[in-house]
Amino acid sequence: MKLVLRYLPWISLVLALVYVGERLARTESFDGQYDLRAFSQLPVSADGRTKPLDTVARNNLMVLSGRQSIRTDDGRISAIQWYIELVTKPKDSVQRRVFRIDHPDVLALLGLDDEKRTRFSFAELRVAGEEISRQARMADQIKPKARDPFQRAVLVLYQRLSLFSNLSQIQKPYLVPPLTTSKEWRSIITALNENPNDPDAQMMMQMLEAYNQDNAESFNTNLAKYTEAIDQIIPYDARKARYEVLFNQAQPFYTAAVVYVVAFLIGCFGLLLSQLSKPTWSKSLLGSMTSLILVALVVQTIGIAARIYLQGRPPVTNLYSSAVFIGWFGVIIGLVVDRQMKLGLGGIMASVIGFGTLVIAHNLGGSGDTMGMMQAVLDSNFWLTTHVVVITIGYSATFFAGFMGVSYVLLGVFTPVLDRERGKSLIKMVYGVICFATVTSFVGTVLGGIWADQSWGRFWGWDAKENGAALIVLINLLILHARWGGMVRDRGLVVLAISGNIVTAWSWFGTNMLGVGLHSYGFTQSAMFWLSMFMLSQLVLMSIGMLPMSIWRSKFAKPAPLKNIPEQAG
Amino acid sequence: MIRKVLKPLASLRLTVVLFALSIFLVLAGTLAQVRQGIWTVVDQYFRSVFVTIDLQIFVPEKIANIGFAIIFPGGLTLGIALAINLIAAHAVRFKLKAKRMGIIITHLGVILLLVGEFVTGFAAQEGNMTIREGETSQFVEDVRSSELAVIDKSDPKDDLVVVIPDRILSSRKEPISHSLLPFTIKVTEWMHNSTILGPNQDQGSRKGLVDSGAAIEYAAVPMPRATGVDGANVDAPSAYVTVYKGEQPIGTYIVSAYIDQLQAVVVDGRTYWMELRFKRTYKPYSVHLIDFKHDKFTGTQMARNYSSQIRLVDKGRNVDREVLIYMNHPLRHAGETFYQASFLQGDTGTVLQVVQNPGWLIPYVSCSMVTLGMLLHFGIRLVPALRRRA
Repeated sequence: MKLVLRYLPWISLVLALVYVGERLARTESFDGQYDLRAFSQLPVSADGRTKPLDTVARNNLMVLSGRQSIRTDDGRISAIQWYIELVTKPKDSVQRRVFRIDHPDVLALLGLDDEKRTRFSFAELRVAGEEISRQARMADQIKPKARDPFQRAVLVLYQRLSLFSNLSQIQKPYLVPPLTTSKEWRSIITALNENPNDPDAQMMMQMLEAYNQDNAESFNTNLAKYTEAIDQIIPYDARKARYEVLFNQAQPFYTAAVVYVVAFLIGCFGLLLSQLSKPTWSKSLLGSMTSLILVALVVQTIGIAARIYLQGRPPVTNLYSSAVFIGWFGVIIGLVVDRQMKLGLGGIMASVIGFGTLVIAHNLGGSGDTMGMMQAVLDSNFWLTTHVVVITIGYSATFFAGFMGVSYVLLGVFTPVLDRERGKSLIKMVYGVICFATVTSFVGTVLGGIWADQSWGRFWGWDAKENGAALIVLINLLILHARWGGMVRDRGLVVLAISGNIVTAWSWFGTNMLGVGLHSYGFTQSAMFWLSMFMLSQLVLMSIGMLPMSIWRSKFAKPAPLKNIPEQAG
Repeated sequence: MIRKVLKPLASLRLTVVLFALSIFLVLAGTLAQVRQGIWTVVDQYFRSVFVTIDLQIFVPEKIANIGFAIIFPGGLTLGIALAINLIAAHAVRFKLKAKRMGIIITHLGVILLLVGEFVTGFAAQEGNMTIREGETSQFVEDVRSSELAVIDKSDPKDDLVVVIPDRILSSRKEPISHSLLPFTIKVTEWMHNSTILGPNQDQGSRKGLVDSGAAIEYAAVPMPRATGVDGANVDAPSAYVTVYKGEQPIGTYIVSAYIDQLQAVVVDGRTYWMELRFKRTYKPYSVHLIDFKHDKFTGTQMARNYSSQIRLVDKGRNVDREVLIYMNHPLRHAGETFYQASFLQGDTGTVLQVVQNPGWLIPYVSCSMVTLGMLLHFGIRLVPALRRRA
């Protein structure tokens, strides 16, 4: 038994690697005679970016139905299969149940409220087409913020219906590559209008026609010809598209999230056992947790690296990738803290942050392409690398300190886990991380100022997002000075650190929701709700942290003395 | 004795209180931007001694109506207070020790940073230069203020221009006179931001107020001030003005940023031309726009890049060269910086932002100092602390 316990971390490491390896290497299987795999790898141009048809199919199906494949009674239909059917066999595709509708009033409007399902076909909705347009027109005249849930749902449905018809008419994406007749990507219709015999457009047309006529042999031959042509003329785009399909199928962030959850559970168990006086067990489990987190971190790193390669951009380009990156760095801080503290707490926090931010990212990227192009003024790899990455690390560190504060309060008030020794070392870590957060958030903010000065001559413009960044710097400075001045001790430090969570969440999301300023991208109504809930929860935690010491379940012999903390500054 | 005075000023408690007040002010100044233009907010909140904060900004009107405001120290007050606190702290506790070098450098940097924002606030000037392709411009417009220009073109060589700034237009109740003009101008209504209604729109009581100039049958109505930082949201001022010859009214006009053409005022058989325009500053150099480019991503309306190919001529400095100004690549010339800011409809011309900020270098220096100081301080203090490991 002892031997098992000793090697458990290594065993976990191997098991996790096996799981991850299997997940990453998994490729979609296509049955049938059509070479849909090769078809899904063809590059096309959509939203200003060259990407594989696979991405187009997945993203659009995701927007319509909230899933990346269709489940039918006869089994699963992949996104690419759905897509090629959509553009070649409209009669079949209108029968596919791909429109997700949740709002009961919308269902009632369509006369579909008796159905016990949430996904409907174009054919079912077409019947009520006039009514949907009428309702959508009325909703459209209301200002976005004033619309009620029904009006929003109707508008969403209307947009999805137009997306469906646009896709089926192959206006977008641009399917005709710049091979022989043009230097630009074109839509099939544009290309054929210019010249009905355009060879580039014909190649794609022949493929689609073959599918339409159920001629697998002709489809595959044409596809092979087509693939050869793009490999020769646009090899870079062709290769990148192939990698992107691999990336889509591997879903590294999903895999990492699964491993973080397992790590979290094992870690909690380990922490519990340490209370039940089973130190060997506890140590072994906590070690396993660390192995798992390392594996998940590696997978997440691979995912981020793949995105960097595919986009040709630094890791953070939008809210989605900021969540992935904040989590990634949070996990690293967690592992460092874990090494310093040997309590398991750093690792547990790392797994929570890793999983939590990936869930947030999933919801932020829920619809559409997460690798979209950048607005002109943001198009600067240098500043994206320096300013955005550093400021995101600052967010990450401030959050980390905040969540360590949360764990201090929760463990201290509700469990006897925190003795004096552990409490002290946790406080030290909070303090250290806040120092780090102060430096990175300050440097990140300053780099943003320099970028602003370079691009429109104003180092500081008091823009909402700039102010948000300044708030993070200010709250960290406030905490440090309050500590140095002896105004707060351990408890005060953690309660203030939790308030850092509120400020950071505000700066990360809240400022985008005001709808003013350069940074106001990505507003969603539900995000507003969750943000408020999060802030509220942190306020509750701060109040819990301020409960009288006598009802804390962890009994500290006496407050930690101040002498180990750097003395007053100034 | 001095120490006794300085001691309370140097307190860390005061520092923390000032940080807390600053956090509240910055938050309020952010939320206020939802309703007010960013420049109004910056002046009211961050460059003021005191600010009246309407508490409604914290709560949506849908949830509750709060008819309540508080007086709060403005950015200027807090900045100066922080500087005093910091200087006092160093005066009281000054010790030049190697391990305190980090803190000293950081704090010197902070003071410099505050000074920099002060200089920017009071000395920086921003303006726009709008140029159509193939045309040349010699002046910069400040879209945050406007002026009424009255132009006498009777001299074939030089125009004679009398300019009345918006400060006077918006406040003067009596007719405005000038020794070079044979008439007076009375502003009957001034609008900081406005829109123009056509003959077929419902003009209400404003119908038929205008009897002269380019806007007969039109009406101007006031609009709320523009909000946000976005360059597209610019206040477009308009005014109703009546021109008098002595006591005798000659005509009532609308002057407006919306009216591009000059409006004629004929007095004693002599024609003067009148125009409400953004405030102009003439420069000793000229900028000629050769070509403006607006590239988009394939198949989308999303901008990939904007760029202006210009020719800069400054005879006094012996400069005559072509420059390409584009995103993140401004032109610096004669203490001014030219940035690609916007463009005219149909990509027919460019809008360059021209900034003159004598303190532009200060933030660079101060921020480097703060960063260096912090790294030094935490490097000196934190690393051994972590190594000791509790």
